[in-house]
Formats: sequence, C-alpha cells, structure tokens
Amino acid sequence: MNGITPLLLASSDAQAVNVALLMSALLFACGLVGFLSRRNMIIMFLCTELMFQAAALAMIAFGKVHHDVSGQVFVIFILTVAAAEAALALGLIVLLYRRRETLDSEAWSELREA
Amino acid sequence: MDFAIPLLAPHLATHLATPPATAPLPALIAQAAASPGPALVLTIASAISAIALVFLMRPGPVGVRIAATVAGLGGFAVLVVEALKRAGGEEGSLSTVFPVVFGTVALAGAVRMVTHPRPVFAALYFILVVIATAAMFLVLGAEFMAFALIIVYAGAILITYMFVLMLAQQSPTENDGGAWYDRVPREAGSAVLVGFIMLATLSETYFSKSGQSFRLDAAERSAFDGSREAWARLDGMPKLMLESSRRALEMEWEASGAEGAPPAVVEVVRNAKGSALRLRGEEATVEVKLEDGTIRSVLLPPGLVPDNSRQVGVDLVSKYPAGLEIAGVVLLMALFGAVVLARKQIELGEDERRELAGMRRLTVEGESGGSGGIR
Repeated sequence: MNGITPLLLASSDAQAVNVALLMSALLFACGLVGFLSRRNMIIMFLCTELMFQAAALAMIAFGKVHHDVSGQVFVIFILTVAAAEAALALGLIVLLYRRRETLDSEAWSELREA
Repeated sequence: MDFAIPLLAPHLATHLATPPATAPLPALIAQAAASPGPALVLTIASAISAIALVFLMRPGPVGVRIAATVAGLGGFAVLVVEALKRAGGEEGSLSTVFPVVFGTVALAGAVRMVTHPRPVFAALYFILVVIATAAMFLVLGAEFMAFALIIVYAGAILITYMFVLMLAQQSPTENDGGAWYDRVPREAGSAVLVGFIMLATLSETYFSKSGQSFRLDAAERSAFDGSREAWARLDGMPKLMLESSRRALEMEWEASGAEGAPPAVVEVVRNAKGSALRLRGEEATVEVKLEDGTIRSVLLPPGLVPDNSRQVGVDLVSKYPAGLEIAGVVLLMALFGAVVLARKQIELGEDERRELAGMRRLTVEGESGGSGGIR
C-alpha cells in the first residue's frame, strides 16, 4: 500500500462524490456568510451548525473516495462536538438574554477593545 | 483586501496552461479572458451566485428577490454541471439525479435559512437542510450516520434551539415583521465576499486536481472493490468471522441439496499473518476446520459482507477508543457547563460575601474575635 490508497471509484460514485464535495463547500460558505452577517445570536449559532453539516458531508465524501469508514466515525465526533456546542451556546444565550432582554449581538459590542 | 488575491489567483489559474505561480493577477485575468477555461466559468458562476445572495439577504422589493433567486440558481446549475463533468462517466444517468436533487434542496434550505427574517422559520429550514444532507449520506453509502444525523440533529439539537427561540424571542407584533435585527443584516456585502473567497479556496482544493483524483476508470473497476475493504474489516472480527463461515457453509450445504445438517465448524484457519480471508478476484473464501478434523474451503457469499453500521461500530471501538472516551468527557463537561451557565444568579449581600471569604461579618452585634471565622 505504501500509505497511498488508490482513488478509484465507479463513475456514478465519482459523480456523487464530486457533487457532495461541491455541496459541502457551498453549505460551508452559506454558514460562514450567515454567521458573519446575521445579528440574532441564535441564528449565528445555527449557522455554525450549518458549517458542521458541511464538514460532516465532506468527511463522508472523502471516506467514500478512500473506501474507508473512518470518515463516518469522525462524523460521530462532529455530532458530539455539535451537541456540546449547542448545549453551551444556548445556555450562554439564555444568560445573555436575561441581562439585556434582546438577542441582538450588537447589544454586546462594547465588549470589543477600545 | 490584499489577502484575497493569493487565494483567488490559483482558482482563476486552475486550468490555464501552467502559468508561473508568481504571475500578477491582472496578467492571469487577461490570460483567462483570452481563452476562457472551466476555472473562469466556475469563478464567474460563483460570483454571480454570491451577488445574488447579497440581494437576497437585504430586505427589498419582490421583483429584485425573484431576479436574484433566478440568477443564483443559474450560477449554481453551472457549478453542478462542471462538478459532474469533472467526475467523468456518462452524463444524465439516473444515479446522478439523486445527489443533485438532494444537494439542491440542501442548498436552497441553507440560503433560505440564512436570509429568512423570522428565526423560527430559519430553524425549520435548517431541519430541511439536515434531512437533505442525511439523504446525501445515504447516496454516499453511510446509512448509519444518515439516521444518526436525523435523530441527533433534527430530533435533539434543533428542538433545543426551538425551545430557546420560544423562550427568548420577542413575539412579533402584527405588521412590523419581527425584530429589526432579524430583518436587516450586518454588512451583507463584505460577509458574502468573505464567503466567496472561502468557496473559491475550497473548490480550488477539491477540484483543481479532480481530473486525476476523483475521476475514475470505470471500466477497470467493479462493484467488488468497495467491498474488498469491508471484507478486510470482517477479517478483524474473529467471532463474526466464525459465525459468517458457519452461515456460508450452511448455505452451501443447502444449495448442494445434501441431506441432514452441515458439519459443525470448529475454528477458522488463519495463515502466518493471522489473516483468514483469501481474496481472489471477486471472490472471498475462508478455510475452516470441521469437527472431524478435515479442513475445507468455504466461499463467502456477498450477502455476508458486514453492513455499514457494523463497520462503523467496529472502526469506532477498535481504532478510536481514546476519541470515544474524550467525546464522553466533552459531553459531560458541556452538561456541567450548561447547568452552571443557565443557573439562576443569586445576588449576595456584603455580609454573605465576607462570610464566604472567611472574614468577619460587619454587622455582627456583640460577639467579636475568632469565633465567627469559617476557617
């Protein structure tokens, strides 16, 4: 093997993999755009979940390329991190909402330096 | 904006005839305009989609939104066709329909989620994205993760989001369409620009060498190649291997029409390397020792390939046990963290704080000295 797995697939699989990779790039870009431009804190964290989805899709597509289930195993870890992140982020949002009575992230902009 | 140029330049240059890596961007653009290659088409298509996204994010008249949707879909269609072309193989076959349809649904849901002014609807659109992504997982042969994704994301995480939305969202009054911070995005233009640069780098990484990497010689490969790895994984599961060889022998016995029960398998014969499986061409055979001491070779039928969830499970506990443990610890810490964060804050008075710090109360009448100290 010499550490190099042959990247050979049947043509329909190759098409599915290419489309999945394109989709993961597009979904990630969408999530990034949403995270940067939305003001609602809940939607911002929802957009990070979208980026997690994109990463998971890329993992599974590359796992398909290499005939390896390790990509799928890593999606389990991604799910774990996403669940932990959701729990923490939502706890944080509830806390912040109690302080300012708004979900607008601009309400906390004085935290920035100077 | 200087950082964008080195990122975009390779994307533009992807299919040009080996331009020097240090060529300035204007020269590259001029070269690309002279002979429009697929990379330029890709870049223009994604730029059109990006501009359409800017218009979709801002509140505007319906006509503009419809035009932006059409333009975005057009750019997206060009991207998909290009991705399919680079995979090679026959175009328009039925098997390519599913990934394209599910991908389109996922992307439409994602765009709607990012642009929708009502957070609850955004969360519902995200559920649509999750379901479409799970369908993509199914197309890619990851059945276990597809259903785990739906259960964990759509079933658990999104419901938590909905709870918090209901808890924290001010209800919109009749005509204002919700809070202003949900309707007006913050710097949509520069956000989309950053997203576009991200997309350019990602698609550059994915597709620049796809001519060699993901396109494959369909003629030489057969469906067996994917299961070769699966068979090899079966080799690492001694108990299942014994069970499978028993099943295979039973099936062989029935097919031959012999009377009575098949001879019982005592053990699987392994070679010097510890491997029991012999892969020859498209067939997997295994040698077993029967109860009367004879050794015979059994052909494993394709139906006995370990299924996806079994493979994932074995891979998880045999290759990544430490990751599994750490994942458990991460979840536990998140549980504690969420409880600590969301707990009601109790305001302590001056006296209680002094007491907790081990100091004397200020308002104590009468007693003094060390008797009140906690330490």
